[in-house]
Amino acid sequence: MNNSLPLCWPTRNGLPSIAVVIAFVIVGGLLTWAAPIAEIDPLRLVASIPRLLSFLGNILVMPDIEYLTELLRKMIETIEMTLIATSIALAISLPLGFLAAKNTSPHPVVFHVTRSLLSFMRALPELVWALVFVSAVGLGPLPGVMALSFVTVGFMGKFFAESIEVVDAKPIEGVEAHGAGWLQVRTYAYLPQAMPDFIGSTLYILDHNLRAAAILGLVGAGGIGYDMVMAMRLFDYDRILGIALAIYLIVTLLDRLSGHFRGRVI
Amino acid sequence: MASISLQGVTKKFGNGFQALHGVSVDFAPGSLTAIIGPSGAGKSTMLRMINGLELPTSGEVKVADRVVNRLNLREVRGDVGIIFQHYNLVSRLSVMTNVLTGRLKYRSWVGSMLYLFRKNDMDHAFQALDRVGLLDRAWDRADKLSGGQQQRVGIARALAQQPRVLLADEPVASLDPVTSEEIMQLLREICDRDGITVIVNLHQVDLAKRFASRVIGLNAGQIVFDGSPNELDQRTFDQIYHTKKEADDEQQPAPLLAHA
Repeated sequence: MNNSLPLCWPTRNGLPSIAVVIAFVIVGGLLTWAAPIAEIDPLRLVASIPRLLSFLGNILVMPDIEYLTELLRKMIETIEMTLIATSIALAISLPLGFLAAKNTSPHPVVFHVTRSLLSFMRALPELVWALVFVSAVGLGPLPGVMALSFVTVGFMGKFFAESIEVVDAKPIEGVEAHGAGWLQVRTYAYLPQAMPDFIGSTLYILDHNLRAAAILGLVGAGGIGYDMVMAMRLFDYDRILGIALAIYLIVTLLDRLSGHFRGRVI
Repeated sequence: MASISLQGVTKKFGNGFQALHGVSVDFAPGSLTAIIGPSGAGKSTMLRMINGLELPTSGEVKVADRVVNRLNLREVRGDVGIIFQHYNLVSRLSVMTNVLTGRLKYRSWVGSMLYLFRKNDMDHAFQALDRVGLLDRAWDRADKLSGGQQQRVGIARALAQQPRVLLADEPVASLDPVTSEEIMQLLREICDRDGITVIVNLHQVDLAKRFASRVIGLNAGQIVFDGSPNELDQRTFDQIYHTKKEADDEQQPAPLLAHA
């Protein structure tokens, strides 16, 4: 009915705000400038389609049945590494999170030191830390778990701290005003309020860690990764397909489970 | 019994706003006092100082012969319970756990980190919940309750700590008239039966008149009225709620009328 009336933005003069226009121009300019550096070349993409198709053709084969028991064993190892590493990280991140949150840290110096420590821990990817730990403790799942826990503390501590920083201040005053001590206020007012965020972050990190654990084998730090890389190098497409399907299956399962769990708790 | 005394108390906030200008007042043990006054008069600041939620810029606040300072906050708060306009409950915890937070001052940090309490803490919490008539909601989550019920949980939390003073910062400002009445009756009864000193900030002058034995009027950070409820008449009412802006208007009413 009113389609014939002119369109306008909700500003004084009906034109888009100058700040938005400038932001678009800057972002657009940056992207055009950056595309060649990142080798974004449409022609090259089109030219590579046949090769991509032939690779996909190779991968669509019958999965290697004989490999199944070994696959299962390696997948269980990967899942165990994920669970242990995430649990260790959880236990360390919880107190660190309180030290790294502006509103619960005992002192600004503690806050800055903890924040720096956390950024240091997540500065390098799991794979690099795994290399470090492999050379320290030898091959196997142990260095993998160590590397995963290490980086996870860096992320989890930061996520937790940020969840703590946004909790409602009123209930905190309510608990504080009745003579509760420093730790008690943190246990009874901050923790329950930040809990939904904590659970959300932990479930996300669990998902991320499973995928991270799946490639740690690349540097000999346990899990399915070693088999995957070997299969890639030997062009064992039937194995790659099996491994990819298994990882996909587990990640999907975990996603469903965590979604269900989240719904119940929050 | 805890008597409270404020001596020349001023409070200036970080943003330069001066909430209180040298307030001196005593509260007798076991009395129910209502503090009334326009928004921004300093009612909340004055009340919160008695619990150490704000510390005076100058002057001193004494609760049971103890001068409130940064170091004895926990001890003072152990004696002084407070309920808030927005109840300030931890919404995700059960009603019971919220009431038990009033018992935290009696617990060491080790056990309370694991949410462990003693049997007598539970008894006190149950008694307090019974007193406010919410025994049957003990195991519900606090945010499942209505506003009036949440305020009663707030009162139960304050009662569970066995305070000698109960402060109420606009306890009925977010509640309907009937619920407000119930809450005020509960406060009056707590004062009469337990001999707890109760100080209430109120916006409703009629409630102050009916439930308080003493009314203090605050305006622009100063006490402008202090007397019994029946001394409150139109003249004193105007004195209390007189704002500076209105004063300016009164001086030159003619131009305004001319435009009208």
